[in-house]
Amino acid sequence: MTGTLPHREDAASKAIREVLGGDAPARATRGPGGEWYVPVDKSSFERAIPEIAARKFVLISLFCVEGFSPESRHSLLYVLERKGSILVLVRAVAGGQATSVATIFPSAAWPERECRDGFGIGFTGTSDTRRLLLHEPYPKDFHPLDKAFTNAPIVTNDDVPAADEYPFKAMTGEGVYQVAVGPVHAGIIEPGHFRFSVIGETVFNLEIRMFYTHRGIEKLAEGKSTEDCVKVAEAVSGDESVANVTSFCMAVERLSGITVPDRAWYLRTILCELERCCSHLGDEAGMLTDVAFALGSSQFSVLREEVFRKNAELTGSRFLRGMTCIGGVSRDIPRDRLADLAEFVGQLRKRFRVGLSIVLSTPSVIDRFSTTGVVKRELLRPLNITGPVARASGGRVDVRLDHPYGVYDRFVPVHTPIADGDVLARFTVKAQEFLDSLDLIERLIAAIPEGPVQSNEPVRDGYALALVESARGQNLCWVRVKDGRIDRYKVRTASYCNWLAIEHAVPGNIVADFPVINKSMNLSYAGTDM
Amino acid sequence: MVNAFSCLVKRKVTDEHPAKNEEIEKLGAEIKREIDARFGRSLAIRELDAGSDNAAEIEINNLSNAYYDVERFGIAFVASPRHADVLLVTGAVTHNMEIAVKKTYDAMPFPKFVVAAGDDACDGGIYKGTYAVLGGVDKVLPVDLIIPGNPPTPAQILAGLLALMKNAGKTR
Repeated sequence: MTGTLPHREDAASKAIREVLGGDAPARATRGPGGEWYVPVDKSSFERAIPEIAARKFVLISLFCVEGFSPESRHSLLYVLERKGSILVLVRAVAGGQATSVATIFPSAAWPERECRDGFGIGFTGTSDTRRLLLHEPYPKDFHPLDKAFTNAPIVTNDDVPAADEYPFKAMTGEGVYQVAVGPVHAGIIEPGHFRFSVIGETVFNLEIRMFYTHRGIEKLAEGKSTEDCVKVAEAVSGDESVANVTSFCMAVERLSGITVPDRAWYLRTILCELERCCSHLGDEAGMLTDVAFALGSSQFSVLREEVFRKNAELTGSRFLRGMTCIGGVSRDIPRDRLADLAEFVGQLRKRFRVGLSIVLSTPSVIDRFSTTGVVKRELLRPLNITGPVARASGGRVDVRLDHPYGVYDRFVPVHTPIADGDVLARFTVKAQEFLDSLDLIERLIAAIPEGPVQSNEPVRDGYALALVESARGQNLCWVRVKDGRIDRYKVRTASYCNWLAIEHAVPGNIVADFPVINKSMNLSYAGTDM
Repeated sequence: MVNAFSCLVKRKVTDEHPAKNEEIEKLGAEIKREIDARFGRSLAIRELDAGSDNAAEIEINNLSNAYYDVERFGIAFVASPRHADVLLVTGAVTHNMEIAVKKTYDAMPFPKFVVAAGDDACDGGIYKGTYAVLGGVDKVLPVDLIIPGNPPTPAQILAGLLALMKNAGKTR
């Protein structure tokens, strides 16, 4: 996988040459997905990080891998993105101690806590030493991702003394009171805790505590065969099954050098876009439910049910599960079914437009949506806010455009930029993206070539990074296969990044607007907690 | 101006929905009969995610869309466990949710029923025997009925609730 720097330098290789310098370009290796890996020592890492931040790189992930670098047991991989190029700094950590970069890259705050919980890595200079994944019942000094720990049931603490309870940020001042919500909510949604500090009706601070549904996905994947791990990838988040399986399969295909047949990529892309349609329809319906506009909401939930039924007709699963597999798709979708889908999509577009015009001509809805829950544009880069949430705040980010995969280089999504950043902007962006997905599906069906749908090339050992655009934004996964088994499956969904956007979007709004702000981002708890 | 009386006697302007699902209608009618007889015409369900991947939540929510609209059969999803007859639990119970699951159950008045929906809730599913979960819901609460599926479809959930109603009549 060692490569020479290409003729036309990308932002990552330029940074390797100019920021790291010395023998770094010679030591850089290129991954099969085009990402650059550079090993860095402590001093050059600490010197380079601020400079890389100044070059407008975004820290899109940080994770720990055991047994990756020869010189030490743990390696931290800092995945940095800039203009479609990816730089991975590989820091071999000695003695389980690393330097925190959270003040330079705020998007490192959660991942650093995650590395501490998972592997026992300590971070010097960090302001937050609370556990993240592992709540109070877990024993102290328990690190599940440590290879020495064999995945098995553990003994937890039944009684948690008050002194060991999770400390939320204390907010004090005249008239400040707290509203504690969750983990069990009033509606049928996933568990999470929201701690509002409120003055009168206005939220003054919101702190979110997640990871209630921490199911140990990454440890579960360890030691599984790559085929068995497809089921694990599907379980990361139910409504993102296709996106997460696609990224997992892409990573395995890249590290093994498997070429996916063209027809399979067309089918995969149709599935990805159908999943986006389901998700966006649910969000549009949900936002309208949360402002008590039942007429609009039921229009979209009816359409969504119809898409679910179409999914079942096409694939046997309402969530499109069991289709995407390593090397392609598990079975073909016949021509007449696809023609039927094209017809269905045409009908869907018409009926969606009817629903949309009702909503957009209802002043009470616009009044609730407009100026509510603003995500500021300046937060996008530091927090790696992604997907429709970023695109509604003026961000021009979309993995399908930035790192085209499959057939997205030929079937390019179209975005109309909106910069308001409020609930209305997110509602509008999702409506446009829904219509754009329908266009993409129609174009894909019209152009789909005949041919095989699965490659039977074998899986090899190696590692690779893969990014896909799920309905919620950029999903990342990094897979390492060793002796034919999964050695490390790191997955980071868009929700993981965007939860922090909510903490910034809610203050200044009234508590009663929290549900609609939350729904407008529609984040997956399962996909965050894993 | 619409004459209110003519609305009563005239033929309805709305058509029957072409996508009416016979299976759901039949299940619904049957479940309504059971609920009418045993639960005073209203069955209150509190949904609880104990560590699910959210697919089951989506299907349970779908029960309220216009295609199923289960409220017409007497089924209501309630906001508080204090109002609930049934606790509908999804997901393998995680260590991080264990306390919340127990507290939610304890907050319900008697008589109360527990239904585990989805493969993970039934027996731990793919997470069985791993560090982060206790296993199926039965590891924490007395389960009256399991509804397998990954995730169970709205029709399967409805069929499960019907079985629960019939069984409740026999045993309590």
